[in-house]
Amino acid sequence: MKLMGRDITGDALLDELRSRLSARSLDAPTGGPIRFDGLEPRVDPVAFNVEALTEHADPTRPLPLETHRAGLGRAVLLAKRLFRAGGQIFINEALGRQKRFNGHVRDSYAQLAAEVKTLRDRLEVLERPKAPPSKRKAK
Amino acid sequence: MSQAAISFQWLLRRLGHFGHVHAAEVAPGYASLVRSASQLKPARDDLVLYHHGIASELSSALLHLPCRRGVVFHNITPARFYAGTQLEEALTAGRAQLAALAGRVDVSIGVSHFNAAELRVAGHTNVHTVPLFVEPNRFDRDAADEVYLRELKYPGTPLVVSVSRVVPHKRVEDLLRLHAELARKSPGARLLVIGPYAQGSRYFRDLPKPPGVTFAGAVSHAELVAAYRAADVFVSMSEHEGFGVPLVEAMACDVPVLAFAAAAVPETLDGRGIAFDEKNFAVLAELVLTLRDDHALRARIIEGQHERVEALSPAASQHALAEALDLPRPAARRRRAKKTSKPKLAIVVQRYGEQIVGGAEAHARQVAWHLADRCDVTVLTTCASDHLTWADTLPEGEARDGRVTVHRFACGGARKMRPFNRLSDERFDGAQSRTLEEHWLMEQGPRAPGLLEHLADTCGRYDAYVFFTYLYAPTALGLPLVAERALLVPTAHDEPALKFDLYADTFELPRALLCNTPEEAALIAQRFPQAARSRIVGVGVDPLPDEGFRPVPEPYLLYVGRLEAGKGLKELVKHHGRELPTLVLAGAGDLDLPARTNVKRVGRITEQQKYDALRHAAAVVVPSKYESLSLLALEAFACGAPVIGNAESNVVAGHLTRSGAGVAFSSFEGYAAAVREVLAEREKHSQKALGYAKRFRWPKVVEAYLAEIEKVRRAT
Repeated sequence: MKLMGRDITGDALLDELRSRLSARSLDAPTGGPIRFDGLEPRVDPVAFNVEALTEHADPTRPLPLETHRAGLGRAVLLAKRLFRAGGQIFINEALGRQKRFNGHVRDSYAQLAAEVKTLRDRLEVLERPKAPPSKRKAK
Repeated sequence: MSQAAISFQWLLRRLGHFGHVHAAEVAPGYASLVRSASQLKPARDDLVLYHHGIASELSSALLHLPCRRGVVFHNITPARFYAGTQLEEALTAGRAQLAALAGRVDVSIGVSHFNAAELRVAGHTNVHTVPLFVEPNRFDRDAADEVYLRELKYPGTPLVVSVSRVVPHKRVEDLLRLHAELARKSPGARLLVIGPYAQGSRYFRDLPKPPGVTFAGAVSHAELVAAYRAADVFVSMSEHEGFGVPLVEAMACDVPVLAFAAAAVPETLDGRGIAFDEKNFAVLAELVLTLRDDHALRARIIEGQHERVEALSPAASQHALAEALDLPRPAARRRRAKKTSKPKLAIVVQRYGEQIVGGAEAHARQVAWHLADRCDVTVLTTCASDHLTWADTLPEGEARDGRVTVHRFACGGARKMRPFNRLSDERFDGAQSRTLEEHWLMEQGPRAPGLLEHLADTCGRYDAYVFFTYLYAPTALGLPLVAERALLVPTAHDEPALKFDLYADTFELPRALLCNTPEEAALIAQRFPQAARSRIVGVGVDPLPDEGFRPVPEPYLLYVGRLEAGKGLKELVKHHGRELPTLVLAGAGDLDLPARTNVKRVGRITEQQKYDALRHAAAVVVPSKYESLSLLALEAFACGAPVIGNAESNVVAGHLTRSGAGVAFSSFEGYAAAVREVLAEREKHSQKALGYAKRFRWPKVVEAYLAEIEKVRRAT
């Protein structure tokens, strides 16, 4: 463990705290410093959108049920569960066309995204600095 | 994030740029402060700064706005903390949107270097850091809620305070572990967690709630300050912070900060307070007790923290924002007005016109007229004639008032007084955050966005701007836009709104304050020690020749002015005994007053009638305790009428002390005695009144204004 601060001597302070604790047999070891991954990686928007469209293309699939409210909130949650259990067959019927439409939207986006990627790759090649012409003359 | 948007708007105003805040969702009652995103219609040269966090439909809308675009990134909690919940996708979507904005915005701003680094990882270029900040004076001891502070602060048992939402990545369970360890060493130890929580959420339900632990939820600003100031130590166990505003707030409140060194926390602390990299709760509990009991260590840490708070100042962020947006300094941006022999002067006042009844407004008009000989005067004002509703009753655009050009701007809606009064009662009760104060100001009005845009767009067109009345939106929001050429006639008196820190700019940024009385200047200096230089300018009073008008047969006492609550008229009439001469009340207003046979309301009277009535009055009564000048008293003196004034008004009492031309009563019980005392020696008081009035002549006042305008011209 490290204590960090300009206005303390971290190691000395930590030693003092530890010696006080050990005098009373109180210090408890921990699993060591917590490791962080640092900066979060970039999330590719196109790939994310394709994935999200795929995940949500079927509107007959329920979202996970969550509530932030106590009391009545839990009762509403239960009512929603019952509605899902009893009404799924009608939900499927009502949203059948929407499901197909969403599938087409997903596929269209995926195809367009692939097209954009191809065009970007080609653009990158075209914009790449050209090698200087060879000095050797053709015989 | 919404507080940050309001803060950025404030900084931009100080940089001379006017703009609105728009949001996808606006809380009920806040439409005056924040507009709906659907109302955003930027022009080609406008810059839209989008504050980004979790996924929002606004990020896609931004991509298609036909203007310059920028993003302010407030960080997004890593999705791993919310795996399996609906939030997980929204967090990842937010990062995908951030990457999609890369290359499609002109400027990208992180509110910490950590966030700026994440912007770069997401593909952004032209990345800058504009740190968040706190205004230290809002966290002074005076800002704390006294009752809450007393309730929390008692010696003997340690109090740990943490301020954060009760959500998984804030690791509230670790705070509870620390508390358990602390309670083992010091029975009775307390942990106070301030911040909103969802009672029904699994996370909150699963948290243990042992004795000594309080989840206070969201609290008022004054209560927040009290909590910080009652704390022995502020602790953060959060495992992800993009900046960590509560760390800085705690530092501003003189409480040692102990924080887990996650993400941007080390950067925000910058070596101040104590950061730790491992959650050894036994050691941390021992450290909490050491920080409480070792006074030398505590003092050293608090002193170091002060330096950090100073470094994270609004001024530093303003500078960083100007650099990020490549904004020229105001002096460089402003085209110089052509230096002709006749200065171009703008007078900014909330209402203007011959029929407008109101001390400050009449004052502004008199100044405009008297300066019109020597300056090219334009009055910038609103279309309102009623100061309660600000309803647009006068035509928009340019008009003439003698030699004065008047440019009126629409307010666009009428104010409803009952809700506003309720809001005022609420906001005047204790210290507030900037956002809540600005919300009050917008409700106070008059809101005339056209006027503010005009100020921002034409700041080089005028040599100087004279703003009248500190209290209203055109001054509080308009003055910072043209501060380097601004003069303020504050017309300030001791009233609840003067306690709002948002008025600091109004008093500190202008070139000079043109005060009416020494009492007013002293009041401002006491409230805002950094206020601009003040000069006692006053007003001139030139009574019209007598044409013999008398509102009632003599003898009578006279009050002239608006008949409304706050002027002390109800108490005056209540205490106006039958043995006293008739009291004449002249002026507009439908104030409900007690019935008295010797009190007569004569309605609004002309200027000629006013001076005649003053000249023939046995004495003039000034019952209001809120006066910044008391023009009525000066007009009475100029007409040789003694004044019976409310001593609760320092200004009125000052006039009476300096002149000896009347008597001040310290309570309405003493009013009748004051009347008798004045009437017994009326002639003596009258002579002193005429002598004192010689100080208030327009040529002197005009010279003072011209001297200050010339100073502004020379300096810009």
